[in-house]
Amino acid sequence: MIEFLPVIILVFSFLVLLTMGVPVAWCIAMSSLFTLMVAMPFSAATTTVSQRIGTGLDSFALLAIPFFILSGQIMSNGGIAHRLISFAKTLVGFLPGGLALINIVSAMMMGAIAGSAMASASAMGTILGPEMEKEGYSKEFGAAVNITSSTTGLVIPPSNTLIVYSLASGGVSIAALFLAGYIPGILTGLFMMMVAIFWAKKHKYPVGKRSSFNEVFVKFVDAVPSLLLLVIVIGGIIGGVFTATEASAVAVLYTLLLSFYYKELSLKDLPKVILESTETTAIVMLLIGASMCMSWVMSYENIPQDISNFLLSISDNRIIILLMINVILLAVGVFMDATPAVLIFTPIFLPIVTELGMDPTHFGIVLMLNLCIGLCTPPVGSVLFVGVGIAKTTISKVIKPLIPLFLVMILSLLLVTYIPQLSLWLPELFGV
Amino acid sequence: DNLNSTRVIRLGHGLSTSHSVHQGMVYFGEQLEEISGGKFKVQIYPSQQLGTERQCLELLQIGSLDMTKVSAGVLENFSPSIKVFGIPYIFKDKAHTFRVLDGPIGEELLNGTEEYWLKGLGYYDSGSRSFYTINKPVEKPNDLEGLKIRVMESQTAIDMVKSFGGSPTPISWGELYTALQQGVVDGAENNPPSFYLSRHYEVCKYYIIDEHTVLPDVVLMSTHIWNTLNEEEQNWIQTALDLSVIEQRRLWMESEQESLEAVKAAGVQVSYPDKSPFSEMSKSVAEEYGKDPLIKSFIDKIKNTD
Amino acid sequence: MKVRAQIDSVLEKILVIIMSLMVVNVLWQVFSRYLLGDPSSFTDELARYLMIWVGVLGAAYVAGKGNHVAITYFTEKLSPSNFKKVQIIINITILSFAILGMFIGGSRLVYITLVLEQLSPALKIPLGAVYSVIPISGALITFYKILDLKKQAQ
Ligand code: NA
Ligand code: NA
Repeated sequence: MIEFLPVIILVFSFLVLLTMGVPVAWCIAMSSLFTLMVAMPFSAATTTVSQRIGTGLDSFALLAIPFFILSGQIMSNGGIAHRLISFAKTLVGFLPGGLALINIVSAMMMGAIAGSAMASASAMGTILGPEMEKEGYSKEFGAAVNITSSTTGLVIPPSNTLIVYSLASGGVSIAALFLAGYIPGILTGLFMMMVAIFWAKKHKYPVGKRSSFNEVFVKFVDAVPSLLLLVIVIGGIIGGVFTATEASAVAVLYTLLLSFYYKELSLKDLPKVILESTETTAIVMLLIGASMCMSWVMSYENIPQDISNFLLSISDNRIIILLMINVILLAVGVFMDATPAVLIFTPIFLPIVTELGMDPTHFGIVLMLNLCIGLCTPPVGSVLFVGVGIAKTTISKVIKPLIPLFLVMILSLLLVTYIPQLSLWLPELFGV
Repeated sequence: DNLNSTRVIRLGHGLSTSHSVHQGMVYFGEQLEEISGGKFKVQIYPSQQLGTERQCLELLQIGSLDMTKVSAGVLENFSPSIKVFGIPYIFKDKAHTFRVLDGPIGEELLNGTEEYWLKGLGYYDSGSRSFYTINKPVEKPNDLEGLKIRVMESQTAIDMVKSFGGSPTPISWGELYTALQQGVVDGAENNPPSFYLSRHYEVCKYYIIDEHTVLPDVVLMSTHIWNTLNEEEQNWIQTALDLSVIEQRRLWMESEQESLEAVKAAGVQVSYPDKSPFSEMSKSVAEEYGKDPLIKSFIDKIKNTD
Repeated sequence: MKVRAQIDSVLEKILVIIMSLMVVNVLWQVFSRYLLGDPSSFTDELARYLMIWVGVLGAAYVAGKGNHVAITYFTEKLSPSNFKKVQIIINITILSFAILGMFIGGSRLVYITLVLEQLSPALKIPLGAVYSVIPISGALITFYKILDLKKQAQ
């Protein structure tokens, strides 16, 4: 079966390199190159790989990543994060897993603002990660909470990935998709909060005492200039002053000025802060460029279509097909980034599910939830890479605390798949 | 090695499978397979699976993709003479457009891409582009004064919007829906099917059919592939493509009508303004581009075509 | 060793400058559109090209430091001598990709885009200049990895 040759080369070379401990980005890039070298002349293969890595980064929306990493770094070095978290602690610090809860709620809010899971993961990880460690949380648990909760922004509007889905589906209403995302996104976030509380209790993480009204007020006043950042960012986006991506650059400027005002960051420290952010950015960018290259190779070789055709030839029962599509999409998410996966699989699966009577808006949300999980799994998981990179830990260590969070994400996925009203109630209520 | 083996032509483009361009390409594949007696097969990669239009052109030059379709607005950055299509109101009407495209000028422009390792094969219809705005009805060019209008990555598009007094704002197509919804830009411009399929009509309630530019879609093949084909094979491909051009243009007309009716049904106010003030105001663009003798010669030739 | 430190320090300065330019550029985009009411037509494109440079050149810098994310779960259990052998194979893999996928492939990409005179839509700069960061980074990684391998061979 000659068609299976590319899959075998790609998967085999990738797994061998990965097991040997070759950095993931180079595993992805190298196995893509091997596969292409079999398919086309040497010069075309090497040039295409170069072009894919370069153009994989050619996206304005990607800029939110370095900027939120940078503003996060400035916030943690410049006394802003500290003031915000002191305030938040007076509010929920007395609950078990308080900081993790803060992380999840903020991630849902950030996701609601930025529409980018990676941006959210980088900002929250930079700000809250060190605080959690100081409080005695394990680095890995902090990273796991940060990674998974950041993906809720893919479902909670606005979401660039949902817009990509609308385009790929040939015109499912974006307004309807956005409304449909609220309940599934918040539901997933609530499940994660339950896991966080349970985990914190089990590991006996310190629980703070309840704060008096006076303490809350004092910390609130102290945090007002920092909280203004949220007002400026959200207000600026909603008011149409700037796009979500531009907002990340405004955040850099604002946090910088505020840090200078607090005199906790000097001009002399700045190059070091920028360099650190650049390093984190570069680690993520090479992974994204390499992943884009691998996605291209898979599209070129028709690997996704071949696999799904094969699996779908097995059954014609509605429940089983939906389950199989979820399994396929989960597997796709393991190896692919969200945007290319949406572009490739929407035209394949949408006709099948609409034939089965599934609403395209509903399918869009199911697709997002699947890819949310995929974004957090190795080997190709951009949010996982960001979260692990920022927490300065390793993928293998973060897997254990990730497992319970994956389980509730899968639970939420199954509920949303088989209860269409969770997605469709709001759009129907507003008549879009 | 095997004389009877099938050769697969890989064709990548950026539109969805419901678009007339994709359907035209499917027709091209069927025709080519039939004409060549099964010696050629076309494999289509829709929806930017293999990259954006600019990237696909590069892949043709690299030699890893065989064919693609790009807007003339993208091709102008590769082959400068194509800029002539970006000049507002260069064509008198639809019939004039097709006479130019299907005549010697269209052929000369297609041949001009060959020195850039791109063999131009034909023009698909992409209608004409018009402005749409969120909440400000536009009746004359002055109404565009100070409005932030999204343009694609093309110098001629930027100059065109400037000539009407609008503020051209380059924003990527994928981010445009949110940008319109949040009011980062006040409007954009495109043909009816794109306005409809992108769902921008959910936000933009005014569509002004001023038809300022006609940017045809161009179908190209990598010269790395073209030059390995013998004359008979080249003829098969050209014939199949010419047949698909007829089919695509028919499908385009249908989808243009359907799109206009659909956006009207969705509450969009579609208006047909007097085009002469628009045409008058954008004359500066033709003058500016006419300073380049190459473009000037094409402008004159198009104007002189009946 | 001295050359390596010098290259690192030059790279650090370039990366900090590009990153700062990126911020200023996007702020200018907002400022020119909202406060001047005259949207800049080049900032979107410049931001994306700076992004490519930060990503690819930064990747070379990080490769020099050996800081790219890896799954070390299996190799952690190896004996010291086997572990050392695996490290050599890892560096050879990265070196091979840097030569094939970045230096050779990137040079041909730069050559094609330069000789065919592809210009960027807004800034009108040759695309070849943008892509040149790929072979440059490929060469840098090759340099770093050869030094690493030399050290490991001792
Ligand atoms: Na969101
Ligand atoms: Na994954």
